[in-house]
Amino acid sequence: MKPAKFDYIAPETLDEALALIGEDSRPLAGGQSLVPMLNFRLAQPARLVDLERVEGLSYIEAGSTLRIGAMTRQAALERSALVAERWPLLHQAVRLVGHAQIRSRGTVGGSVAHADPKAELPVALTALDARFHVRSASGARTLSAGQLFRGVLTTALEPDELLVEIEVPALPPRARTAFVEQARTLGDFALAGAAVVLAPGYQAVALLGAAAVPVRAHLPAPLDEIDDPYRRALLAALVDRAIAQAS
Amino acid sequence: MTDDDRGGWIGRAVARREDARILAGESCYLDDLPEPEGLLHAAFVRSPFARAEIRGVSVLPGAGTALVFTAADLPGFLPVRSPPGVVTAQAPHPVLAPGEVRYTGQAVALVLAASRALAEDAAEFVDVDYEPLEAVVDPARAPELLRFERSGGDVDGAFAAAAHVTRARHAIPRVVAAPMEPRGILARPEGDGLSVWISAQDTARSVAGLAHALGLEPERVRVALPDVGGAFGSKGTPAPEAAAAAAAALRLGRPVKWAEDRYENFLAAYQGRGMQADVELALDAGGRMLAVRARILADMGAYLYVHSAAPPHTCAMLMCGAYDIPAARVTVTGARTDKVPTGPCRGAGRPEAAAFLELTVDQAARELGLDPLELRRRNLVRAFPHATPLGWSYDSGDYERCIDRAVALVGPERRSDAECVVGTGVALYVERAGGQFEEARVALEPDGRVIATSSAGPHGQGHETMLAQIVADTLGVEPERVEVRFGGLAGTGTFASRTTAMAGSAVLLAAQRLEREGGTEAHARFESDLVFGSGAYAAVVEIERATGVLRVVRLAAVDDAGRIVNPLLAEGQVVGASVHGLGVALMEEAVHDEAGQLTTASFLDYSLLTAAEAPDLRSAFVQSPSPLNPLGAKGIGEGGTIGVPAAVGNAVLDALGGRHVDPPYTPAKLWRALASPAVGPS
Amino acid sequence: MRFEVNGRVYEGDPEARTSLADFLRHELGLTGTKVGCEHGVCGACTVQVDGEPVRSCLMLAVQARGRSVRTIEGLASPLQEAFHEAHALQCGFCTAGVLMSLDAFVRERESATDEEIREALAGTLCRCTGYLSMIDAVQAVMAGRREAARPD
Repeated sequence: MKPAKFDYIAPETLDEALALIGEDSRPLAGGQSLVPMLNFRLAQPARLVDLERVEGLSYIEAGSTLRIGAMTRQAALERSALVAERWPLLHQAVRLVGHAQIRSRGTVGGSVAHADPKAELPVALTALDARFHVRSASGARTLSAGQLFRGVLTTALEPDELLVEIEVPALPPRARTAFVEQARTLGDFALAGAAVVLAPGYQAVALLGAAAVPVRAHLPAPLDEIDDPYRRALLAALVDRAIAQAS
Repeated sequence: MTDDDRGGWIGRAVARREDARILAGESCYLDDLPEPEGLLHAAFVRSPFARAEIRGVSVLPGAGTALVFTAADLPGFLPVRSPPGVVTAQAPHPVLAPGEVRYTGQAVALVLAASRALAEDAAEFVDVDYEPLEAVVDPARAPELLRFERSGGDVDGAFAAAAHVTRARHAIPRVVAAPMEPRGILARPEGDGLSVWISAQDTARSVAGLAHALGLEPERVRVALPDVGGAFGSKGTPAPEAAAAAAAALRLGRPVKWAEDRYENFLAAYQGRGMQADVELALDAGGRMLAVRARILADMGAYLYVHSAAPPHTCAMLMCGAYDIPAARVTVTGARTDKVPTGPCRGAGRPEAAAFLELTVDQAARELGLDPLELRRRNLVRAFPHATPLGWSYDSGDYERCIDRAVALVGPERRSDAECVVGTGVALYVERAGGQFEEARVALEPDGRVIATSSAGPHGQGHETMLAQIVADTLGVEPERVEVRFGGLAGTGTFASRTTAMAGSAVLLAAQRLEREGGTEAHARFESDLVFGSGAYAAVVEIERATGVLRVVRLAAVDDAGRIVNPLLAEGQVVGASVHGLGVALMEEAVHDEAGQLTTASFLDYSLLTAAEAPDLRSAFVQSPSPLNPLGAKGIGEGGTIGVPAAVGNAVLDALGGRHVDPPYTPAKLWRALASPAVGPS
Repeated sequence: MRFEVNGRVYEGDPEARTSLADFLRHELGLTGTKVGCEHGVCGACTVQVDGEPVRSCLMLAVQARGRSVRTIEGLASPLQEAFHEAHALQCGFCTAGVLMSLDAFVRERESATDEEIREALAGTLCRCTGYLSMIDAVQAVMAGRREAARPD
C-alpha cells in the first residue's frame, strides 16, 4: 500500500509552519497515525508539513503547571522523571501507548490531534483537566479537553491551526493516580479504559470507550447511558480496578 | 572423530544451518530479489462489491503510460481437483474477473507501471462500471458448491438402540493464515516459456497451477522458490494475481513482479476454517460410543481452488477421532457464499474435526455424569491398524499414553469464586499426514561433499537441516558434509505436515541405495498411503467474571508424530502451532458483514497474539513409529493448531459450567455466557 | 539529503512518499529489513534511528536526513548466536525486526524478567515460533553477560 503523491516541506520555525498548513496541506508530527492512513490512501493531502524541525515545539517544563511541547516524543514523556513524580497519571498512560517502537517517534501532540477514541493520552489529559494551546497564523486560543475533542478522529482544530502546547495543572496534594485499560493484546488499541485521580477531597475520572470522545466524570462513573451491558460492566470493572490501584 | 561417533544423527537436536544467512540480514525473499531490467510492477483494481456484474472497464487518461489488462486480455482459470467422492459445482477461480465479481477484493484488472506506487496511482484511473447485485453471505442460504457423504456401519440401528444421544451444534469462524510475508511472484519470459520466482510452498503445485492458467505445457514453466516467509497453507497454489502477472509477462515479453501487500493479503488470500456442524453421538448405558453422525456446513466462498475441497473432506473423514466407534455417517455441504474462497490453513480440516468431536464428547460426559477422561478411556482405539467406518486406516498410535501425559503435565484445576472461574479441558486428536509421493537424489562429489536433492519446499520448518541429518545418519558422515538442495525433481508438495514422512523417507531411501549399491549417485521415489499422527492437549483457563478476560494458566501439548528426526525443530513446531492455535481460539475471526465486506482487513482489526500472550506451555512427545515409511515418521507441523483450540474449548466449557460458546472466546462472549443461566448438571 | 546507515554516509533524493523501509531496501539495496504490513503493527521493518527502535515503514525516507540509521546488516550482537542456539527463528521474516528491537532493549539493561522481555517483544509479530524460544535467547544473553562480567 503506497501513498498517493504529496509535496513535502520541513519548516524550521513555527511561523513558517503556520503559514504553510491548510485544508490540503497537513501537519506531520510523529507519523505513527498519519502514515498508516497515507499508506491506505485514506488520507491524500497535496502537501505534508513536517513539524520535526520546527524549533521550540519539543520540551517538558514544570513550574506551577506542566507544559509539554506538542512535538515531545511519547518516549521522552515516558522517560521523564519529573513527570513520573509529579504527574504520574501521564507516565502510567504513556507506557500503554503502542510499543517502544511507536513511542520513539509518536508525539504527545500528534496523539491528541489525531483524537482516536481508543487512544490513552487524550483520556489521561482529560482526567487531568489539561488545557490545549493552539496557534494559527492569525492568532491563538486555548481549549479545554471537552472543547477540543469533538468526535471520532475529530477535534475542534481548524485546518490552519496547530496544537503547540499541552498545559497540565498541578495535581492536588497527596494525589494517587491509575490508568487501567483492556486491549486484545499488549500494545493494541484499548477497547475500554479508565483514568483515575484520587486525593483528599478530590476525585476525577476519565473514561476510554464510553463514547466517541474521552468522558470526564466524577465518581460514581456515569455508565447508565451505555447501551451494551458488557461495555457497561467492563467500564465499571475497570473504574473499580483503577480506584483500587490508586488507593 | 571415532567410528563410534558415526551415525546417530536421527533424533539429535541439531541447530539449523538455515540460520546464519537470516541472522546476518542476507535472507532473500521474493521482494528482495534483484530486479531485472525493464521490470514492471503490478497493482490490481479490485472489486468493492461482493457481487456485481461488470458492464465495462475503461482506462481514463490519468492512468498515463501504465498498462492495463482485464479478463478479455488475459483469460484463464486456475485448476480445481477434488478428493474421491466429493462432488462439486463448476467454479474454478478466474485469473481476472470476467463479466462478474463474486467477492469483495476480487481482482478485476491488472495495472503495470515502473513502480508499485505508480501502478497504484494508475489503478485509480481505471473505471469499472459495476452493476451491484445482492450478496449472499449466509452459508445456509447460499447455493451448493460441494457435497460429500460417507457412511459406514449400521448408523440408524445404533441410534435407535442408543441409551443416550448427545446433540451439539458448533461453529468455527473463518480465519486468515497471515504469514509475515505476503504472497508474490516475479515472472520473466525466457526461451519458449517463463522463468518464475514465486513465494510458494512448493514448486510442484506452482508449476501445475501456472501451466494450467496460462495454457502452457508444464515444461515451459520453470519455477524456483526464494526464501519463503511462512505460508501456513496460504501459498499452496498460485494466486490468481500471480497467474495474471505471469500471463502479462509472457504477453509483453517483459519481467513482471507482484509483491502482495498486507491489505491485499487480508482481502484476497484464501481464508481458512469457516465450518459449522451438527454432531450427534449415540452411546450405550455404559458410556460406549455406538455411532456418530455429523452434518457439516462449510462457508466456502465464491470459487474452488485446487485444494479448497480438502479441509471439509478431511474434517468429515476424521469425525470418529481417536475413538473406536463402529458406525458413522457424515455429510458435508459446501456453501457458495459471495466471499473470498477458502482453502487449507494450518490444520486444514483437522482442527474443525477435533473441536466438533471433542467438545461433543465433553458435553456427553457432562450429560451422563461421567468424568470426561473416563468417557474417553472407555472408547479409545487401542489396536492398530484401525479401520474407521468412514474408510481411513490409522497406522499406529498410543492415545491413552498421550492423554495420561497431557493431564500430568497440565495439572488440572477447577474452581469458582467471586473473582473468577477456572476450568480444565482435554482434547484428543488424530490427524492425517504423509501420503502420495516424493523423490530424492543423493550424490557423492569428488571433494567428499554429499549433495542431497529433495522435491520438498521449505518455508521455515528447517527441512534443510532435517534432511541433512537423515543423509548423514545413513551414510555415517557429519551433517556438515551434506549439502541439501530443493527442486528439479517430481514431487507432491509441502503441506499437511508430510515432509518428514515423505521427503525424509525418499532421501533416506536414496542414501541407503547409494550406500548399498555404491557409485556416485542414487535416486529414490517414495510413495505411501496416509499416516496418522495424534496427540492430546490440555488447558487450564481462568476467566475473570468482571471482564470476561480469559487467561491461559497452563497448556500441555503431547504429540505423537512417530519418530522425531530433530527434537529441537519438532518442539519449535509445537510451540509455534500452539501459539497460532491459541490466537485462533481466543481472538481470530475473519468477519464479513451483510453486504459481504470484510470488516477485519488489517492487523488493526484482526489481532495476532504477541509474546505477551504466549502461554506457559509444557510439551512432550510420544513416539509410535509408523509402519508405513522407513523413518517411522508422521507429521508435527500442525498439531498445535488442532489440539489447542479443542482443549481450550473444553476448558472454557468446564469453566462455564457447561454453557456453550463458539470460538473465538472473546471477553464479551465469555462475560455474556457467565451472565446467563448455567446448563444441566454441573 | 545525506544520512548515515551502518556507519556509511549515503546521499539520495527520495521522493517524499517513499518510506525509509523502501528506500533502504530498494535504493540502497539493504534488503535485510523486511516489510510485513505497512501499517505499523507487525514490526518486521524495525530499524534503529539514532539508537532507538523505529518502524521504518512509518517513517518517510526524507525524515532520515542527518540521522544515523542502523539495520540488521550492521548488527553485531550476542543475540544473533543466542537466537541460533535457542531455535528462535523459523521462516526468518520477522527476525531482523525482532533483533533490532531487542538489541536496543538488551543494551539498556543488565537483566530483565520474562515479563519485561515479553513486553519488549510485543511490538514485533511472529507467526512461526510462538515466541518462547526468543525469550530464552534473551535470558541466555543476559546470563552470559553477567557471567562474563563476574570478577574472577
